[in-house]
Amino acid sequence: MTTPPQSGREPDTHVPAEALMTRFEAPEPGAADATDTTGKGKKASGQLRDIWRRYKRNKLAVVGLVVVAFLMILAILQPWITPYDPMEQNLLNTRKPPSDGHWFGTDVLGRDMFSAIIYGVRLAMIVGWSVMFLSLIVGLALGAVAGFRGGALDSLIMRVTDIVLAFPALIGAILVVQIFGNGIWQVVIALAILSWPTAARLMRGSTLSLRESEYVEAARSIGASDTRIVTRHILPNAIAPTLIYSFSHIGVAVVAMASLAFLGIGVPPDIPEWGTMIANAVPSLNVEGESHMWVFPSLAIVVTTLAFAFVADGLRDSIDPKLR
Amino acid sequence: MAKFITRRLAHAVLVIIAATFLIYLGLFVLGDPFASSGEKTVPPEIQEALREKFGMNQPFFMQYLTYLQNMFTFDFGIDFEQRRDVGDMLAAAVPATARLAVIAILIEIVIGLTAGVIAAVSQYTFRDVFITIITTLGIGIPVFVIGIGLRAGLSGEWIFPAVPRSFTVETPWWQEIILPAFTLAILDAAFIARLMRGSMLEVLRADYVRTARAKGLSERKVIGKHAFRNSVIPVVTYTGVSLGVLLGGALITETIFEYQGLGFLLVRAIQQHNNPVIVPIVVFAVLTFVVLSTLVDILYAYLDPRIRLH
Amino acid sequence: MRNKSVLLRAAAGLAVASLALTACSQQSNTGTDGDGGGGNEEPSAGYPEVFNDEVTEDGTPGGTFRLGIVEPAAIDPYTAYESEGLLVTDNLFTGLVHTTSSGETVPALATEWSSNDDCSEWTFNLQTGTKFHNGEEVTSASFKRGWERVTAKASASDVAYHFDQIEGYDEMQAGTANQLSGVDASDPAVLKVSLASPSCEFYLRTAHTAFSPVPEVAGPGQNEAYNNQPIGNGPFMMDGPWQHDQGIKLKRFDDYNAGPKAYLDAVEITILVGDDAQQKELDGLNNGQFDWARVPPNQLAVTREKYEPQDGWISKKTFGIDYLQVAVTKPPTDSAKARKAISMAIDRPSIIEGVFDGSRAPATAFVPGGFQDAYQPGVCDACEYNPEEAKKLAEEAGLTEGTELNFQFNTGGGHEQWTAAVKQQLEKNLGLKVNYSGVEFNDMLENQQSPDSAGIYRLSWGADYATPGNFLQPLFSTAAIGTDDPNAPATGDNPGRYSNPEFDDLIKRAAATKDEAERIKLYQQAEQICIGEDLAAIPMFERQQFRAFDSSKWANAGDMDFHENPKLDVIYQK
Repeated sequence: MTTPPQSGREPDTHVPAEALMTRFEAPEPGAADATDTTGKGKKASGQLRDIWRRYKRNKLAVVGLVVVAFLMILAILQPWITPYDPMEQNLLNTRKPPSDGHWFGTDVLGRDMFSAIIYGVRLAMIVGWSVMFLSLIVGLALGAVAGFRGGALDSLIMRVTDIVLAFPALIGAILVVQIFGNGIWQVVIALAILSWPTAARLMRGSTLSLRESEYVEAARSIGASDTRIVTRHILPNAIAPTLIYSFSHIGVAVVAMASLAFLGIGVPPDIPEWGTMIANAVPSLNVEGESHMWVFPSLAIVVTTLAFAFVADGLRDSIDPKLR
Repeated sequence: MAKFITRRLAHAVLVIIAATFLIYLGLFVLGDPFASSGEKTVPPEIQEALREKFGMNQPFFMQYLTYLQNMFTFDFGIDFEQRRDVGDMLAAAVPATARLAVIAILIEIVIGLTAGVIAAVSQYTFRDVFITIITTLGIGIPVFVIGIGLRAGLSGEWIFPAVPRSFTVETPWWQEIILPAFTLAILDAAFIARLMRGSMLEVLRADYVRTARAKGLSERKVIGKHAFRNSVIPVVTYTGVSLGVLLGGALITETIFEYQGLGFLLVRAIQQHNNPVIVPIVVFAVLTFVVLSTLVDILYAYLDPRIRLH
Repeated sequence: MRNKSVLLRAAAGLAVASLALTACSQQSNTGTDGDGGGGNEEPSAGYPEVFNDEVTEDGTPGGTFRLGIVEPAAIDPYTAYESEGLLVTDNLFTGLVHTTSSGETVPALATEWSSNDDCSEWTFNLQTGTKFHNGEEVTSASFKRGWERVTAKASASDVAYHFDQIEGYDEMQAGTANQLSGVDASDPAVLKVSLASPSCEFYLRTAHTAFSPVPEVAGPGQNEAYNNQPIGNGPFMMDGPWQHDQGIKLKRFDDYNAGPKAYLDAVEITILVGDDAQQKELDGLNNGQFDWARVPPNQLAVTREKYEPQDGWISKKTFGIDYLQVAVTKPPTDSAKARKAISMAIDRPSIIEGVFDGSRAPATAFVPGGFQDAYQPGVCDACEYNPEEAKKLAEEAGLTEGTELNFQFNTGGGHEQWTAAVKQQLEKNLGLKVNYSGVEFNDMLENQQSPDSAGIYRLSWGADYATPGNFLQPLFSTAAIGTDDPNAPATGDNPGRYSNPEFDDLIKRAAATKDEAERIKLYQQAEQICIGEDLAAIPMFERQQFRAFDSSKWANAGDMDFHENPKLDVIYQK
C-alpha cells in the first residue's frame, strides 16, 4: 500500500506564504472546494481513462477545454483566417466602431481589430505555451534533482528559488526585460524565469515523498541506477502537481505579458497585443463610440484566462481529487 | 519555536542580500545605468556625479557595498529627468501607496470574510453557488481588465473624476483612492472568500465544533466564537503576504488610475530609463515583500499548533 | 466515447467554419469612412490661420487664468528648454530682449544694444531701478551671474550650448574657470560681451530664457530650493513652490517696472498626468475647468467647429518644421537625385488628410513661414508629389527596385502613423525595401550620429531664436557635423554630414552682416543651395499649432507667444 503523496510541507519551505507569493497567480477556482468524495486514492499515472472520466464530470472544465482547443485552432490558422493583415494600417480609417467591413472595428492606427485580436490569440498561445514548457522543463529537472539528491544541492536549489520568488510579480519580469531589452522572446524568458521556482518546489515535494516509497526501495534493492529510478519510477508519479501548476500558469503568463504590454514594457509597441491595444484605448475610455477598442481585447484576455483556469482546475480534480 | 524564528529570520536576510545583489547586478552592471530616453541624453557631469555617489569607479565589491550603504541610508542620488532628489520623490509617493494598500486590505478583508462565512454556513445553497461564481470571476478576470472596466464604467463626478480639475480645487482624498482600492481588493477578496469558506467548512466538521453544538451553544456562538477564529488563520497569512505585495506598489492599478504612488513612479521611471528612481523602488518592493512574508510565516507558525510543536 | 466524438466533431466544425469565414486571399485594408475619401482636388493648405496679435490695453487687474500642462522638465532658467517649462520661465523672468509672437526681437531689459563692425563686441544698455521679486536690484552683474550659472561645468545644463560663441565659454564648460571671461559687468547699467566667434545675430540669442538674470540667492545650478521656486524679475512670481505632478501657481508681481504690469492676479497651471494629458486639457476647457487648451489631432475638427464661431480658436503657423533627416554621405541617399526621388515619391497631402485631418500644410521650404521676409515657398521643388518623375530620377540615381533603405523614427511622440504612411508610399512608388523601425529618441540620435548611419530619420526642428539662420547653420553647416573624422560619431546637429563650402561661405557672411535685410538675402541663397539644389534634408510638414480658449472671459488671449504659450502678461479679464 502506498501512502498518499505529501505536498512537502516542511516548515522552512512553508508553502502557505510562498505559494501565495506571486500575485500573478490566478489561484485555482474551486481550490477550496477540493473535498474528496470519491475516496479512491488511486495512483494517477497510466490511468488516462479514469482521468478523462473524472474530468468530464466537471462541466466547467469541459467548456474550458473546448475553448482552449478553439483558441489553439485560431492561433494555428491565424495567417489564413484573418480577413486583413493584422499589422496593416489604414490611417484614413482609425477608431471606427464595428461595421460590415470590420467586425470589431478599427484601432488607433486603423488596423482591423478582429484580425488583430486573432493575431493576439496566436501571440498569447505562443508565449503561454513557451513559458509553460520552459518553466516546466527547468522546474522538473531542478526539482527532481533537489528532491532526489537532497543535501547541499537541494539547499542550493531551494535558496535560488527563494531568491527568485522574493521578487513580486511584475517587478521581476520588468527587471529581466530591463536587462535583456525589449522583444517577445525576452518577455518569454523573463516570465519563464519567474515561473520555474514554484514548479521546481512542487516537483521537489513530490519527489521527496516518493523517494522513500516502497517500490523505489524495491527498485534500488535490485540494483537499478539512480537515473533509472528517477526517470522510470519517480518522475511519472511525481509529475502530476507540477504539470497542473504549469498548465494553470499559462493563463497567468498571458495576463503577465498583457500587463507588461499595457505598461509599454518589453513588448514592442507596433505588435498587436491585447495589452497594447487596451493601453492605446485609454484615451478613448470615456469617448462615445470607441468602447470597442478596449472591450474586445479585454474580453479576449478574460476568455483565455478563464478557459485555461477551468482546464487546470479540472485537471487537478481529475488527476487526483485529494491533491492540494 | 525560537529556533524556528531564528532560522526563518536568517533565511530572510540571506534572501534579501541575494536579491539586492541581483538587482544591483542587473541595473548597474549588465544594463547601462545611464541609458536615458526622452529627447536628451544624460549629461556627462550628471553621470560623473552619480558615478561618484555610487562608487562606480571603485572595484566591483566596493561598488556593491557603496550601493548597499546608499540604499540603507536612503541616499539615492538625483533623478535623470528633473535632477530632483530621489529620496524626496519617494517620500511623497510612499504614503500614497501605503494608504492605498491599507484601504484595499480593509475592503478585501471585510468583503472576503463576510462572503466566505456566508458561503460556508449556507453551503450548496443558492447563496453559496452565487458567491462561488462571483469569486471565480474575481479570480479569473485579470486585475487590469477589472481596472479598465471600472474606470470606463464608473468614472464620473464623484468616483474618479473623469474631467480634470484645476489642482487648486479641493478633491477629497477618498475620491481618488476608491476605485483603485476596489480594483486591488477584488482579486484578494475573492481569494479570501474561498480560503475562508474552505477553511471554515473543514473546521465546522471538526470534533470540537460538534462538541460545542452538543453542549447546546447557539449556532451563532459556535460559528462566531469557535469556527471563525480557527478558520481565519490562513486568511491572516494570505493577507499579510498581500500587504507585502501592495506596499511595493501596485504597478498596473496605479497606472490605470493615475494614482501617484510608488508603482506609478516606477512605471514612469522605467519608461524614461530613469535608473536612480528604479533602483530604490525595486529594492523597497523586494524588501517589504520578504519582510512581510517572513513575519507571516512566523505568525502562522505561532498560530498553528502543529508547526509550533515541531 | 460519446462525449469525445462530440468534441471532435465540434472542433472540426469550428475549423471548417473559420476557414469559410474568409476569402481565400486577405483583403487589403483600404476602407475609408465614406465621406471625404474621394480624390483630392488640390493639395491641402492646412487650416487657415486664425489669430489676433493685436494687444488692447484697457484691462483692469484681476482674474485667475487656468490651464493644464504636462510635468515640465525644469522651470529654472539655468536648464529650462521645453515648452512646458518655458511657459513658466518666460513669465518669471525678463531678459535683455524679447521675441514677439511674430518673430520680431524687441528691447526688454536692455533699452538698446550695439556692436562693433565685425560683431565681436557687444554692448547692452540696461534699464536701471528694476528689481527681482525679492527686492534685489537687477544689474549687469545679475546677468553675468545667471550666464555663469548656466555655463558652469557642474551645472550640466541642457542649454549651455546657446552661449558657445562667448569668450570664456570653453573654459567654463571644461571647469577650468568659474567666470565667463568674455562678459564684463563692471558697469551695473551696461553689459559688455566679447565673442570668440563673432556673430551679428548674437543679440537674438539673448531672448532665450537661459540668458536671464538671476539674484544672488539662486546659488549654483543644482539648487533644489531655487529649482522649485525660482525668483526672477518678470511680471509674474511664484506663489509657492512647484508641486511636482500637481501644479504651479503664479501671481502678479505688483512692483514690476521693467515693462507694463500684468493684469492677471494669478495663474493656475495644473499638471496633468497620464498618456491622455492632451485630451484632458481639452476636456478641462470644455468643462469650464481650464481657460486654454491644446487640441489633440483627432479633436481638431470638432473643436474648431465649436470655438471658431465664438472667436475662441487659434490656428497659427509657428516656427518649426517636421522633416526627414538624411545620411547624405552614404548610399543609397548620397546623391541629390536619390534624395529628390524619395521626396517626390511621398504624397504629403494625403498623409495630411488621413493622419492630421487636413489641419497642417505640406512643407515646400525648410525655413518656415513664420519668417515672413525670409520665407521661400517652393524652394523645395522636389516636395511636390510626382511618382512618375520620382521613379525616373530614382532609376538615374541607382535607387532601383529592391534597394534597401533604412527609415527610423522615435517612439513615444505619436509619429507612428505618418511615418508608417511614408514607408508604404516609398514601397509602393519606388519599390524600395524599407527597413522601418521605431526606437527610443536617444537611441535614434546615436544611430544618426554613428559613422555607419544610413537612410532617413524622422526629426523636427523648432526655432531657438528668431532668425532663419537658426534653421540653416545648426543643421547644414560643416562645423555643425561635430567631427572631421568620417569614422567618428557626428555629435553636432548635422549628423547627416552634409558639407557644402558654398553654403558654409554664405552662412559665414550672413553672420558677419549687420544689416538684417542683407542677412536675410544671404540666408535665402543658402537655403537655395542646401534645399533647392542638394535637398540635404527632406521637408515634410510645416508646423502648425492650434489652441482653444474661453473668449467670453478673456481678452488678448487670441494669440500664442514665440514658444506657443498663451501671452499671460497681456491677458485680462473681460
